[in-house]
Amino acid sequence: MAVTYDTPSTQLAPVAVQRPGRSHAGKIAAYVILTIGGIIFAFPLFWTVSSSLQTWQELRSFTLHFLPAVPQWGNYDKVFNAVPFARWMANSFLLVAITVPGTVITASITAYAFARFDFFGKNVWFILMLGTMMIPTQVTLIPQYIFFFKLKLINTYVPLTIGAWLGGGAFMIFLLRQFIMSIPRDLDEAAVMDGASPFRVLWSVLLPLMKPALTTVAILQFMNEWNEFFAPFIYLNRMQLFPAAVGMRVFQNIPLETTEPREHLLMAAAAIMTLPVILLFIVAQRYFIQGVVLSGLKI
Amino acid sequence: MAALTSRFDVAAVMRRELAPRKRWQNFYGYLFLTPWLVGFLGLFIGPGITSLYLSLTKYDVLSPPIFIGFDNYVKMFTDDPQFWPSIGRTIYYAGVGVPLGVLGSMFLAILLNNKIRALPAYRTLFFMPTLVPIVASVVLWKWLLNDDFGVVNQALRSLGMADPPGWFGDRRWAIPSLIAMGLWQGIGGTRMIIFLAGLQGIPEELYDAASIDGASSWAKLWNVTIPLLTPTIFFNMILGIIGGLQTFTAAFVATEGGPGFATWFFSLHLYKQAFDYWNMGYAAALAWFFAVIIVSLTMWQMRLSTRWVFYYGG
Repeated sequence: MAVTYDTPSTQLAPVAVQRPGRSHAGKIAAYVILTIGGIIFAFPLFWTVSSSLQTWQELRSFTLHFLPAVPQWGNYDKVFNAVPFARWMANSFLLVAITVPGTVITASITAYAFARFDFFGKNVWFILMLGTMMIPTQVTLIPQYIFFFKLKLINTYVPLTIGAWLGGGAFMIFLLRQFIMSIPRDLDEAAVMDGASPFRVLWSVLLPLMKPALTTVAILQFMNEWNEFFAPFIYLNRMQLFPAAVGMRVFQNIPLETTEPREHLLMAAAAIMTLPVILLFIVAQRYFIQGVVLSGLKI
Repeated sequence: MAALTSRFDVAAVMRRELAPRKRWQNFYGYLFLTPWLVGFLGLFIGPGITSLYLSLTKYDVLSPPIFIGFDNYVKMFTDDPQFWPSIGRTIYYAGVGVPLGVLGSMFLAILLNNKIRALPAYRTLFFMPTLVPIVASVVLWKWLLNDDFGVVNQALRSLGMADPPGWFGDRRWAIPSLIAMGLWQGIGGTRMIIFLAGLQGIPEELYDAASIDGASSWAKLWNVTIPLLTPTIFFNMILGIIGGLQTFTAAFVATEGGPGFATWFFSLHLYKQAFDYWNMGYAAALAWFFAVIIVSLTMWQMRLSTRWVFYYGG
């Protein structure tokens, strides 16, 4: 570092008011890089929508068509007719509807235990819980599979949803525990003084204050479940039970009635599958951005 | 003052009333812990111990497991042609993809932290790819990188490259294609938001002090911003490596391990052993080996971190 302690004070003043890294040229460079980068990042999304509205002849020609000559909205109908995509989407929504409340409820309860009670062995359990994040899922996968197989629970949603109702995962618990720790304990204690039971404290004092963190957890669980491929792929083998993520792979590979290329239809399916997440983002954007940070994930 | 008094009263009452009630704490603590504890014992510890036992057996689910001692572990090191290559590919994927992703997120966050006008618009733009489900993203990228008609190769040909790579269909380019897709999905996501939070936590006085010392923007970046971001870099690296080594869905949906084993990562090898060949005992041994590697790698990184992670004021 070029440190010059003996600079005359007259030269110091203008330097001192200058903000870090805010030189004019630097700022222009930042805009240029961000704009070019932004276009590169947005292009695949544009390309999905554009491809989904073209004919396969347009897609499979050696001149690029950036936009369809005539938007083929019928491609979207074709997706729903070629494979049970509506059913798959409904299944994904059903899995979300089962796992989101489960995660929100049981992760809050567990977080409450870790944040507010001084029970025997608490630190050991807490470290073990964090440790589960490190262990690859494959370690428990095979016995779990055999267990659910023996209980004849293959082709049911039980193996896919039970975890969400049993704590919802270490990450969610940690997130909520950090959030509860940031709520002053005086509030609980005042309620206890007024004769509230621990259930009452959680329900009437903490949960109302935890709304931003609970929303974040709900959104993260929605995203996780919507993305989940592996568990439904191994536990389900009837097509009508598949969620969209597994259905999408099926649609990519199975023989259809026509042997025509299906890139335009795959792009339509990708757009359909992404739309609910985009809508969720538009509605709850600030929780995507702020929630993670607010919940104490910043180091 | 009234608030202060009542606060003291509460504290006194708590000490008198609640502190001796150790049993009360234990009772409610374990009561609220129960759902997680059931899951932890039933879905984690139980299956974990079972798979440790199964790793010492030959087991195809249909007939009972046969105890064979450490044969599975001997086999993986000596008699499995895809064991070492699948580890090599996994290290290639995570070793290139994770550092690029973490540094990419960091530099994007630094750019966005530049008191940029329209920051929310840019942030949203870069965040969007994270919202695309992985399977949809794979299908999309296979189309973007289609050998003949993909937009990337069409562009490369029009720029005069006669024979552009075959991407997912090409042994040498299949892993780079997966890395590129991962970067597109990951750089602007949650990780970048965590970096933005880290940047906003850097005290402004440090920049002022550097300015007084006559430091250039570049010097401030290297001597203030990046050292103070090292805890965030470390955190994201740890999470990234744990996730990157376990990568499955993208490679499985894009190429199913192909072409010619080019994307046959360790997690795919394990999956195939378990669910295609029904070598459950062997797959359990692979899983335990994998767990030991990931845990030791994480511990090693934590030890190493004391040499390069800088905690300001700590």
